[in-house]
Amino acid sequence: MTHTTCSHSAADIAVSVRDLRVTLGGQAILRGVNLHLHRGQLVALIGPNGSGKTTLLRAIVGLQKPDSGDVRIFGESDLKKALPRVGYVPQRLALDRSFILSVREFLALRLRETQHWFWHRKRDTDDRLRAAMAELGAESLLDRPIAALSGGQLQRVLIVFALLKNPDLLLLDEPTAGVDSPGEESFYDLIGEVHRKHKLTVVLVSHDLSMVYRHASWVYALNGVVCCEGSPEHVMNADSLKEAYGLNVTPYQHHGHSHGPGGGIVQ
Amino acid sequence: MNIFSDIEPFMLRAFAVAVVMGPLCALLGVFVTARRMAFFSDTIAHGALAGIALGFLLGFEDPTWPMVLFSLLVAAAILWLKEHTDLLTDTIMALLLSGSVAFGIIVLSMLKNKRGELHRYLFGDILSVGPDDVWLAVVLCAAIGAWLFTKLSPLALLTASEDLAHVCGVRTRWLNYAFVLVLTVVVSLSIRLLGIILVTSLVVIPPAAARNLARNLRQQIILSLIIGLFGGAAGTVASYHWDIPCGPAIVMACIAVFIVSLVASKLWLNKPAST
Ligand SMILES: Nc1ncnc2c1ncn2[C@@H]1O[C@H](COP(=O)(O)OP(=O)(O)O)[C@@H](O)[C@H]1O
Ligand SMILES: [Mg+2]
Repeated sequence: MTHTTCSHSAADIAVSVRDLRVTLGGQAILRGVNLHLHRGQLVALIGPNGSGKTTLLRAIVGLQKPDSGDVRIFGESDLKKALPRVGYVPQRLALDRSFILSVREFLALRLRETQHWFWHRKRDTDDRLRAAMAELGAESLLDRPIAALSGGQLQRVLIVFALLKNPDLLLLDEPTAGVDSPGEESFYDLIGEVHRKHKLTVVLVSHDLSMVYRHASWVYALNGVVCCEGSPEHVMNADSLKEAYGLNVTPYQHHGHSHGPGGGIVQ
Repeated sequence: MNIFSDIEPFMLRAFAVAVVMGPLCALLGVFVTARRMAFFSDTIAHGALAGIALGFLLGFEDPTWPMVLFSLLVAAAILWLKEHTDLLTDTIMALLLSGSVAFGIIVLSMLKNKRGELHRYLFGDILSVGPDDVWLAVVLCAAIGAWLFTKLSPLALLTASEDLAHVCGVRTRWLNYAFVLVLTVVVSLSIRLLGIILVTSLVVIPPAAARNLARNLRQQIILSLIIGLFGGAAGTVASYHWDIPCGPAIVMACIAVFIVSLVASKLWLNKPAST
């Protein structure tokens, strides 16, 4: 199954990014990025550390103001209208330990962010939260303070948070950053499952190339610009990728893969 | 009613302001402490001194409005410097805090008839709480309290993560500014009662005590409100009974609750660990 970007109609496009440029601290981080993500796909975004993957996702959801360029989500350039259809899991969430918000409260904020959750604790809300947490195998965390969770637990909660309003697009920025290596593979399987079950478009930033092989249907290799795109087989074998990573990429390597310095910092 | 009849009116006014401002400061404080804005609150309180001095210099009898305005100016200066320079937030605030205190003291020392005011504003003076101040406190408390309760969810989300709040459709920039505005107004209006030096304690101690006992944010907010109310009420009553300064009495009442909460939490937390 090979895809060609131009053969799809505009309605099939989940995210389109045209000539996106972002400068940070006087440095051109994104230098004219072009992407057209198709609906329903699980798209992997790979690239070495500092190649602008996080910056690109932040620009897509409006957290980073671009110098120039155009971002459309489901054909909509007005973010206010597009954002309700988007779930976003940031790479890092700096939670203050002194903030005592429980997981249940945190998730309830997503469901009723404009009303106050303060006096009500509705049974159906509770049921919905429990079901959503159970899907990611994290039911037991509901009454824990969110700041006390481990990296992997927090990632699960953040994914539940992102999925709560049934988005059509899910953006995951290195969701396994806090997950220990043995748990990583099953974590990616979980994401693949979520993708299939919820029938949504997933953009996944990842260091883990074996995961890309198993789950992604389309891959973008980023390094300031999109230096390579295509099916996993195509991108992995491209010389440009090997150059960008500066390492030999061995296909179908499930274990013992090397990580960039960004992976696995949190316990 | 008749218990109040032989209490002096200034005392009743102080009591009224304390039971209104106490919970309000405590509610704001839950977010102030979680967002690490305690020093920010302290800085805008000290900024009020420059406003008070300027107010007297300009011939105001009652420097409330210049005080609030100057605190807002200091708050705006902090935000502006944070955005437009590479200075650390701590540095910016230390600079503005000492700057406004120095300015205020110099101006007050030049105004010969206002030298006594310095002590009064630094440490608080319930005698200076007038009937207008009571109305101002009540109206403000109702308005700000109502606003806060409708904004609890976005505020909690903003405190957890500005990025997530943005993606969930919260207008984070606007809410940040609104929060700073509300905090500044509440803090500078509480100065009458607690004084510049102690006013931040009413913002910090009740949520800290509540944090010791609470298991989630909702509990922390409720406990904090109760402790703020208790601290304000007990402090003013103690101040009247034992003829001690009101501000320090309120602070000590809050500290007492804090110590109790700390001990209770240690006993409480040790239980599941030992079983
Ligand atoms: N706020 C910022 N100011 C200056 N430089 C930044 C800022 N944020 C990120 N950068 C730089 O932008 C580059 C790209 O960062 P990022 O998008 O996080 O890369 P990636 O996610 O691919 O590792 C990095 O070199 C980083 O140092
Ligand atoms: Mg990144």
